[in-house]
Amino acid sequence: MSGQLLRKANERLRLFLSECGRRARVLQRQSNRTDPPPRFVQDFRYGYWEREARGLELLKEWLSPEQFAQYDAKSYFEVTGCHSGKRYRISHGTSMNVHELDGAGFPCVSWCFMPKGYLVAGDVMLAQKIALETDEHGALAVANKWSVPTSRRNMHPQY
Amino acid sequence: MATQIVMDRTGDTRHNFDAKNADALLRAEERFRELTGAGYIAAVRTSSGEPVVKRAFDPNAEETLFFPRLVGG
Repeated sequence: MSGQLLRKANERLRLFLSECGRRARVLQRQSNRTDPPPRFVQDFRYGYWEREARGLELLKEWLSPEQFAQYDAKSYFEVTGCHSGKRYRISHGTSMNVHELDGAGFPCVSWCFMPKGYLVAGDVMLAQKIALETDEHGALAVANKWSVPTSRRNMHPQY
Repeated sequence: MATQIVMDRTGDTRHNFDAKNADALLRAEERFRELTGAGYIAAVRTSSGEPVVKRAFDPNAEETLFFPRLVGG
């Protein structure tokens, strides 16, 4: 009796798996026939890591030797604002990654601004660097600002 | 060979052109106008490596970088 039930269950499982396989093959054939959406072809012709690497390569071409060494070692680099002479730390990232430094070199204010649209981290950091070094007031005018909590100011490297 | 680098979702797109070729230079100038007209910021590097924003097309620039206008995050 139990052997018969086991054989029926086994047969149902075999049919179920067979049906799953058939449906998977149909779906695969359909996906092969369907072209991916144009925006993916156009905008994402490179893989994620390749896009990120291209952005970082461009960033490193434009960093000064000191900034390059700092970024290479600590994943952030510092720039001087062209108008105020203040120091800013740009950490690796695409948002909430710019910090104004106080006289002791600790972050005291966070500034959030970036180029419009989706860009990789290297591109965003490069645009932030150029903006602060060539048009500091213009960049900060569009940025959102908040103070870094005193308790976090001596944390490294983000705060 | 001069280059115009436009930041985009792929990292960047590079347009190389011969600055001694009048047609190529004209196309580069048109591209400059189109991009800056669309809100892109154009920057070049000085000989010492410092970035400088360009409001007008510089036919002598070997490398011009374009990035989209800045917005608050």
